Amino acid sequence: MFGRLLWKMLRGNRGRLAVALVAVTSGAAVISALLNLQFDVERKLTQEFRTLGANVVISPRETAQGATPNSPVLMDQLGVVATVQKSPDPNVVATAPFLYVVARAEDTPVVVAGTWLDQLPKLDPTWKLSGDWITSRDNAAECLVGQTAAQQLHIAPGSQIELDYLGRSARFRVAGIIEAGGTEDDQVFANLESVQNLAGLRGQIGLVQVSVSGTPASIGAYIARLSASLPGYEVRPLRAVTEAGGNLLDRTRLLILAMVLLILTLTALCVLATMAALAMERRADVGLMKALGGSISRIVGLFLAEVGILGATGGLIGCIAGIALARWMGQRVFGATIGLRWEIFPLTIALMVGVALAGAFPLRLLGRVKPAVILRGQ
Amino acid sequence: MATIVQVKDLHKEFGSVHALDGVSMTVEAGEWIAIMGPSGSGKTTLINILGGLDTPTSGKAIVDGTDVARLDENGLSRFRAEKIGFVFQQFHLVPYLSALENVMLAQYFHSTTDESEARAALERVGLADRIDHLPSQLSGGEQQRVAVARALINQPKLILADEPTGNLDQANEEIVLHLLRNLHAEGHTILMVTHAYSIGQLADRRIDLAHGRLAHPAEQPLNRRRSDRVPSR
Repeated sequence: MFGRLLWKMLRGNRGRLAVALVAVTSGAAVISALLNLQFDVERKLTQEFRTLGANVVISPRETAQGATPNSPVLMDQLGVVATVQKSPDPNVVATAPFLYVVARAEDTPVVVAGTWLDQLPKLDPTWKLSGDWITSRDNAAECLVGQTAAQQLHIAPGSQIELDYLGRSARFRVAGIIEAGGTEDDQVFANLESVQNLAGLRGQIGLVQVSVSGTPASIGAYIARLSASLPGYEVRPLRAVTEAGGNLLDRTRLLILAMVLLILTLTALCVLATMAALAMERRADVGLMKALGGSISRIVGLFLAEVGILGATGGLIGCIAGIALARWMGQRVFGATIGLRWEIFPLTIALMVGVALAGAFPLRLLGRVKPAVILRGQ
Repeated sequence: MATIVQVKDLHKEFGSVHALDGVSMTVEAGEWIAIMGPSGSGKTTLINILGGLDTPTSGKAIVDGTDVARLDENGLSRFRAEKIGFVFQQFHLVPYLSALENVMLAQYFHSTTDESEARAALERVGLADRIDHLPSQLSGGEQQRVAVARALINQPKLILADEPTGNLDQANEEIVLHLLRNLHAEGHTILMVTHAYSIGQLADRRIDLAHGRLAHPAEQPLNRRRSDRVPSR
């Protein structure tokens, strides 16, 4: 009879309950979308921050003996790179050793970066390129040129560029022009071994850049592990990138949490208003039920079960809508689909049942109804 | 006959208004009592207290051995569910429940529901073909018959009827009174509030109230069970 009564009560008050259901469903949709983002935002944001470029740099210690501004201390390529590669981490997106020299091109000084050219697009995905990337690490015939340097040297993709350094020279075909939006726009990127030969520094590098995805904590753990493996070198995070990621993540989480609380409150208020009206309408029913011997707990239990069903139904429908909303937001904000998080369903439904029950507070006042007063028609 | 209702010096005050002012009376099991009196004389207040819908300011109202004045909220609920069957002037059916479900509602609050029993109760009041109808689909007389079926379903010790025919036309009044006569004949104890002298005449005994007091403290016993002499329909 409990189920039968419940069903009839839901049907009998469907107009007013529909209003509350819309409120609960809307609230649940936005909350489940936000919770989905909340759970996925760490992964998405860290992915976003990885696009800002390398976030870990390995370099000689600044206090190393013999280090001067004009004669920086260099590192042994084989030793350092081998150590890095011996510490594999699934979060490492790209690794590239660099050797910088200031060469001349047509009597114009230009910074030449010798590196693994195939790693550049992964190391900094935001770079724009006119022409072609160089996909082979061993390609010693071609180079990439920053757009400012290209303008100064009047070169375009397909042009030839000759670099001179202390009486040695190297000639490259320009495969592409890079637009990096930073100091890289002034540089020429060429095969590492070719630049080492040009500079007469075979097997020497200035630093290694690593792009690592993951949370600030996991990046920190990676850095600590690498530091232990490279005691003579400095392994440091690029603070601007890593800390900005952590701060933004914290602020985003706080914002989402605040919005969830606000929506829960608004939903509860909407349910409260509807239930207050419903409670007034139901005074006669409650008075009669009490006259028939219904205990307060049994009568209020019926109404709370009704509200619980309202919350669960609204929560479930809203959750499904929220997943779709989260996917849409993921595409719009992050340019990628937000993964479906199954834990959102029970969490959202539980939240909406809780909110609906809190909003049903006026129904609890029905326990005070005096049947004699109601049955007199007052 | 055993005494089923014993009222002693019953008082009920609503602020400065004395709705009941020292009423004392007894009702024997199986009696049909008509409570009569002008508006505001305390008729409804008296049966509300006897039915556990209201509590007295002072005095005793003992129904089937239970002093209603001593019961708390939960005790009153159990008392109403187990011992009282109400029939109201306004019918008071739940509008979104069918006739059958309205009867089963009383079963639900009493103990467990039994649909076949509820159907039988409705058949008994002549509503076998209206079982699944909503109150809005029933005439006033039919609604009151549903209310009678609901009042009977838990085999109450006492049936309290407050102006049961007050909202009915002549034909439906006859039907409901016929049902009450049959119930009385079967041994049910009925306390019925009425304004109508002709209806009051059907009872075994009449209690007249005026200004919250018994108009005739000795009450008005009748010599016989009048329902026995009313021809059945």
